[in-house]
Amino acid sequence: MELIDDPEIIEDFCKEAAGLFDELEEILEDLEEELEEDESGAKELEKFGQIIDRVMGSAQTIGAEEISRFCELGKVIGYKSSQTTDLPLLNVVVAILFDAVDLLRGMVTSLQSGNSKTLNGLSTKAFATRLKWLSNKFQNIDRASVESDVKYENNKKMSQSSIDDLMASLGL
Amino acid sequence: MGLKADMKILVVDDMATMRKIIKNMLGQIGFTNITQADDGSTAWPLIEKANKEGVPYEFILSDWNMPKMSGLDLLKKMRATDEFKKTPFLMITAEAEQGNVVIAVKAGVSNFIVKPFSAQVLKEKIDKIFNS
Repeated sequence: MELIDDPEIIEDFCKEAAGLFDELEEILEDLEEELEEDESGAKELEKFGQIIDRVMGSAQTIGAEEISRFCELGKVIGYKSSQTTDLPLLNVVVAILFDAVDLLRGMVTSLQSGNSKTLNGLSTKAFATRLKWLSNKFQNIDRASVESDVKYENNKKMSQSSIDDLMASLGL
Repeated sequence: MGLKADMKILVVDDMATMRKIIKNMLGQIGFTNITQADDGSTAWPLIEKANKEGVPYEFILSDWNMPKMSGLDLLKKMRATDEFKKTPFLMITAEAEQGNVVIAVKAGVSNFIVKPFSAQVLKEKIDKIFNS
């Protein structure tokens, strides 16, 4: 049985994701208030990226591809926007991320109820386009993932097979 | 299964769903002695305690991105200690970037696995770690 067809795993995932969406909304609510004064709270969007990354990983694993893709976009926007000081743009980011979390909640609820028709009715494509537009606004910012100590040029995403090749070239 | 079924394994992931999935996969492969931790910061005392009791963990599977102590920091902490320099450590990540893979390799990771993965891929990784 595929994980996406395992009711116990799906139930666990949906409950856990709902708790993390609460945390994401708290971050955005706090940030919304802070942005009324200055842009210093933008660093909190890094935390947003970390939390949504957790949902993304589980969604990928259980085979909830659409949820995973949305989370990945939210993650990229979270990490990238945490590095900007453009106050008007940050306000747009927060508004769009609020909508994104709301939409993700709807997608998870649909998954929980096993109602794929509801999922189609959520107009996710149109919203994904908005997220991609926003992501492109930050295209000059390189880091789209968790911060690490060392910077690499052309830091490309890798598949399992390309990782295996790299590990082999490194003697592992 | 070439490896002993009761090999002492620690699964570290902040998502309970992922821990359950990984535990189920390890069970499918044939492993029976599996402990879970929800963060690197909770895994580290378990690792130390097991070692002091003379029954150290023989294999660590850890997520990379965790809120208090990341998988990378847990790995570095282990490799900085003589007792855990060679403990097999499989890093799990939602996405892998070349730079991060190189950093983890330099830190002493045994291998890398990218979500989503199947029990078969996990088994292949484990075989590779223990047969190399």
